[in-house]
Amino acid sequence: MSLTEQTGAAERLGSVSSGNALELRGVTKMFGALAAIRDITLTVGSGERRAVLGSNGAGKTTLFNCVTGDFLPTSGTIRLFGEDVTRFPAHERIRRGLRRTYQISLLFNGLTVADNVYLACRGVSRGRFSFLRPRENDTLLGRADELIEAVHLAPWCDTSVANLSYGQQRQLEIALALAGAPRIILFDEPAAGLSPTERAELVSILNGLPGHIGYIIIEHDMDVALRVAESVTMMHNGMIFKEGTPEEIENDQEVQELYLGDGHG
Amino acid sequence: MSIAEPRKAAVQPMWFEKIPAGWWALVLILLTMPAWANDFVLFQVMGWTFILGMIALSLMFLAGYGGMVSLIQMSVAAMAGYMVAIFGNSGMGEISMGLPWWLYLPIAVAIAALFGTLVGALAVRTEGIYTIMITLAIAAAFFYFTRQNYTIFNGYSGFNLVVPPPLFGVDWRAPMPFYYLTLGCAAICYLVVVYVSRSPFGLSLQGVRDNPRRMAALGFNVTAHRVAAYTFASVIAAIGGILLAWQNAQIAPGTAGIPAVIDILVIAVVGGITRPIGPFIGALIYVLLRTFSPDVLLAFGLSGERFKLLIGLGFLAIVFFSPDGVLGLWERWRNRRARGQDPLTGEDP
Amino acid sequence: MQGFLQRHPIWSIIIALVAAVFLWLIFATWSEEMVEVMGRKRVFLNAIFGGITLGALYFLVASGFTLIFGLMRNVNLAHGSLYLLGGYLGFEVSELTGSWLLAFPVVFIIVAIVGIILQNQVFRRMEGEELRQTMVTIGLSVVIADLLLWTWGGQSYTIYSPDWLSGPMTLPIVSSIRDSGEVVYLRYPAVRMAILFAAIVIGIAMWLVLNKTKLGMLVRAGVDDREMLAASGVRIQYVFLAVFAFGAGLAGMAGIVGGTFQSLSPGEDTRFLLASLVVVIVGGMGSIPGAAIGALIIGLSEQLGLVYAPTYSVVFTFLIMAAVLAFRPQGLLGETR
Repeated sequence: MSLTEQTGAAERLGSVSSGNALELRGVTKMFGALAAIRDITLTVGSGERRAVLGSNGAGKTTLFNCVTGDFLPTSGTIRLFGEDVTRFPAHERIRRGLRRTYQISLLFNGLTVADNVYLACRGVSRGRFSFLRPRENDTLLGRADELIEAVHLAPWCDTSVANLSYGQQRQLEIALALAGAPRIILFDEPAAGLSPTERAELVSILNGLPGHIGYIIIEHDMDVALRVAESVTMMHNGMIFKEGTPEEIENDQEVQELYLGDGHG
Repeated sequence: MSIAEPRKAAVQPMWFEKIPAGWWALVLILLTMPAWANDFVLFQVMGWTFILGMIALSLMFLAGYGGMVSLIQMSVAAMAGYMVAIFGNSGMGEISMGLPWWLYLPIAVAIAALFGTLVGALAVRTEGIYTIMITLAIAAAFFYFTRQNYTIFNGYSGFNLVVPPPLFGVDWRAPMPFYYLTLGCAAICYLVVVYVSRSPFGLSLQGVRDNPRRMAALGFNVTAHRVAAYTFASVIAAIGGILLAWQNAQIAPGTAGIPAVIDILVIAVVGGITRPIGPFIGALIYVLLRTFSPDVLLAFGLSGERFKLLIGLGFLAIVFFSPDGVLGLWERWRNRRARGQDPLTGEDP
Repeated sequence: MQGFLQRHPIWSIIIALVAAVFLWLIFATWSEEMVEVMGRKRVFLNAIFGGITLGALYFLVASGFTLIFGLMRNVNLAHGSLYLLGGYLGFEVSELTGSWLLAFPVVFIIVAIVGIILQNQVFRRMEGEELRQTMVTIGLSVVIADLLLWTWGGQSYTIYSPDWLSGPMTLPIVSSIRDSGEVVYLRYPAVRMAILFAAIVIGIAMWLVLNKTKLGMLVRAGVDDREMLAASGVRIQYVFLAVFAFGAGLAGMAGIVGGTFQSLSPGEDTRFLLASLVVVIVGGMGSIPGAAIGALIIGLSEQLGLVYAPTYSVVFTFLIMAAVLAFRPQGLLGETR
C-alpha cells in the first residue's frame, strides 16, 4: 500500500464520521480516593494538532492512558471519530485509527527493529493470526521498510532493539505509532532525553506528517511544543486549566506564573 | 533471523545451502540409527526422547515465545491418550468405542486441544508465576479426577492394550517402525514450531511476551493471542500424548501425575526454553538419566531409586548456573572458545 | 467490612443467606423429611466439622505460603516439602521424648532454620527473578521429597496425640433426638477441636501482628512498595528472613498437626502444596484473611463432597477455583494487580 493510497483510505474513513477526531466528556479517573484526572472535557478536530502542557502529576499521561484504553475511566465518555469507545479494549481503539507513543519506550526487546515495525503494521491489518510466513513481496514488509526509512533507522534494520541507543529507541517508538493508517496519534513526551539536533529532527518529522493525521503531544519543552501545535491545552492538578492558541498561552499571565515561571526559572 | 533478511542478499542461496553441516550430520545419524542401534535404544531411549521432547516442545513454545510457563501440557497429552483409548480400542471393551483410526485420532487431538484452550483461557487471566500456580493446580485436579472417575476414565487402573492401528500392515509398536513414527512426528512438530515462530502469529506472540501493553496499543488482541498459543501448543502436546499411550500400551492417571507434570518442566528448562531444539536435548538427557542412572547408582552402592535426587540436583544446578539451559551453556562455551581464538580484535563473534 | 456492604449489596445478601442456611442446618433439629433428603444429621455435622478442621489445617499450611508470597513474590513450591519434613521431625521428637506438645517448638525452630537457610542461601541470590526462584523451589521440592523418602521410607506414619486430647468431647449441638425424647449431643474428637482452636488463635495473632505492630507495618510496606522500604533504611533482608522463617516454621508445625489427625507418607507434600495453591488462588494471593476464607471453603467443599458425592469431590474444589479465576482472577480477597 503506498502512502497516497493510505491517505485516500483515511480521508474516506474521515468523511464518514463527524468532524471531531476525539471528544472527551467529563472524563474522571480515580486511583482509590485520589483523582488523577477530574472532569476533563476536550475536543480535538480531525487533523488538529494539539499540545498538552502541565507540570508533573498534572494528569497528562493518565489522560492518554484513558484515551487509549490502558485504563478504563471511572466516569465520563470518550468518543473516537464520533463512536463511543469508552468501554472498548485498547486494541479495538487502535484499529479505529488511534495510535500512541510511550514516555518510557515500550518496545519488543527480544525482536529486531524490522520485526518491531512489521508487528506494528500487522497489528492494524488482517492476518494477525496467520501461521504462514510473509512472502518476500508482502506489502506489509514493504510498508515496514518505508517506515524504518522515514525514521532514519534503515542501517539498524536487523539490530535487536535491546542494542539500540536511547535516541534510536525513541525514533522506533514513533515509527510504531505511524504504522497502518493513523488518524490521530498521542505522543507522550517524544522529545524527552533527546539532544538538540535530535529535537530538531523530531520537529521536522512531526511537521512533515500528512495533513489528515492529527495528534496530541505532551511536551515539557515549550520550544518544541509551541512549534508543532496549533492549539494548546494547559492541565493542572488533573483538570483543564486553560485552552488557546500557542501565542495566547505563551502570553497568558496565569500560565506564566504557574508553569513557565517555575518550569524555566 | 529477521524477516527482511532474505530480500537483501543479491544472490540468494538455495534453502538447503543455509542449513549448517552439523544438522546434516544429525539427520544422517537419526535416519540410519535403526541400522546400528539395538531395539532397546530405538524404542525405549529414542522413542521416549522424541515423545517427551514433543510434549516439552509445546511447553517451550508457550514459555519461550509466549512467556507463559504452563504446567498443563502433560495433562493435555494424557487427555489425548485417554481419548484415543476411549474412542478407539483398548482392553476395556465396556468403555472403548472402537471407532476407526481416521476418526478417533482427529477427535482425540481436537478434544485435547479444546481442553488445553479452556485451561489457557483461565490461565491467561493472570501472569508470570501465577500461571505456574494455576496450571499446576488444574493439572492436579485432572490427575485426581481421572483417578476417581470410573465411568469415563476407568479410575485408578486406566486403560491397557492401547496400541496403534496396524496401518499398511505394519506393527507400529515394533521398535523400528515406532522409532520412525516418533522421529517423523517429532521432526514435523519441530519444523512447524520453527516455521510458525517467524510467522505473524509467532512474531506477535513474541511481542506479547516482551510487552503485552504495547501489543494492545498496536491493535493486537493480547488475550486472544495467548489463548490461541495454548491451542497450538496443545495440538503438539496431544500428538506426543497419543504416541506416549501407544508406547506404554496403556494410559492411567499416573501418566499425568504431579511428578510427570514437573518432569516436563524440568526437561524443557534443562534443555533450554529459548529455542525449539532445547526440549529434545533436555528429553534425551532425562531419558538417559532415567534409563541408566539406576545402574550407575547401584555401582556406587546407592539404591537405584535415587535417580530422582540426581534429576532434581541436575535441574537445580541448571537453574542456578544457566537459566537458558544446556543450550545456553553450550553457546557460552562456544563463544568463549571463539573469543579465545581471536585475541587481536577482541570482538564478540 | 462497611465498604464491602455498600459496594456489593447483592453479594453481601447472598453470603449472609448461605451462612444463615448453614448455621440453621447445624443448630436446628432435623425433621423426618430432611433426614430423608439429606441423610442423618450426624453425618452432615461430621462432614461440616471435618471440613472446618481440614480448613484449619489448610490454613496453617497456606498462611505461611501466602505470607511468603505476599512479601517476596516468591511462589515457594517447596512449601509442601517443609510441611512433610515438619511432620516427620515431629514424629521423631514425640516418639523420642514422648511429648506431643514439645514437638511443636522443636519442629518450629528446626524448620524455621531450614527456611532461613533457603532464603539466605538460595532466594537472596536471585532476588527479583520470580520465575527462576519458582523453578528453584520446584527443583528443591524434588530433591527434598527424595531425601525424605530415603530417610523415612515409603510407609505411612501417624503421630499419636496425648491422652488428655484423645477421645471425643461433647459439643453443645444437637445431633438427633431419640424416640424416648432423649437429646443426643454431637461428640467430636477433642484433638480436632484443639487444632481448630489453635488455628483460629494463630490466624488472629497473625492478623494482629500484621495490622497492629511495627513489624507488621514493615511487612505490609514491603508488600506494597519494596523500593520504598529499602530506601527508607530498613534492613529488608531481615524482614524477609523473619517472614520466611515464620512461614516455614508454621508449615512444619502444620506437618505435626496433619500427622496427628491424618497420616504422613510420601506424596503428602504435593497434596498439601496443591491445597495451599488452591486456597490462595481462591482466597487471594498474599492475603491472610483470604487464606482463612479460602481454606474454609476448600476444606468444607472437600468434606461435604466426600460425603454426598464421593466421585466428584475433587471436581467441586476445581470448579470453585475455576469460577473464582473466571470472575475474580485476583482471588476473593486479593488486591487488584
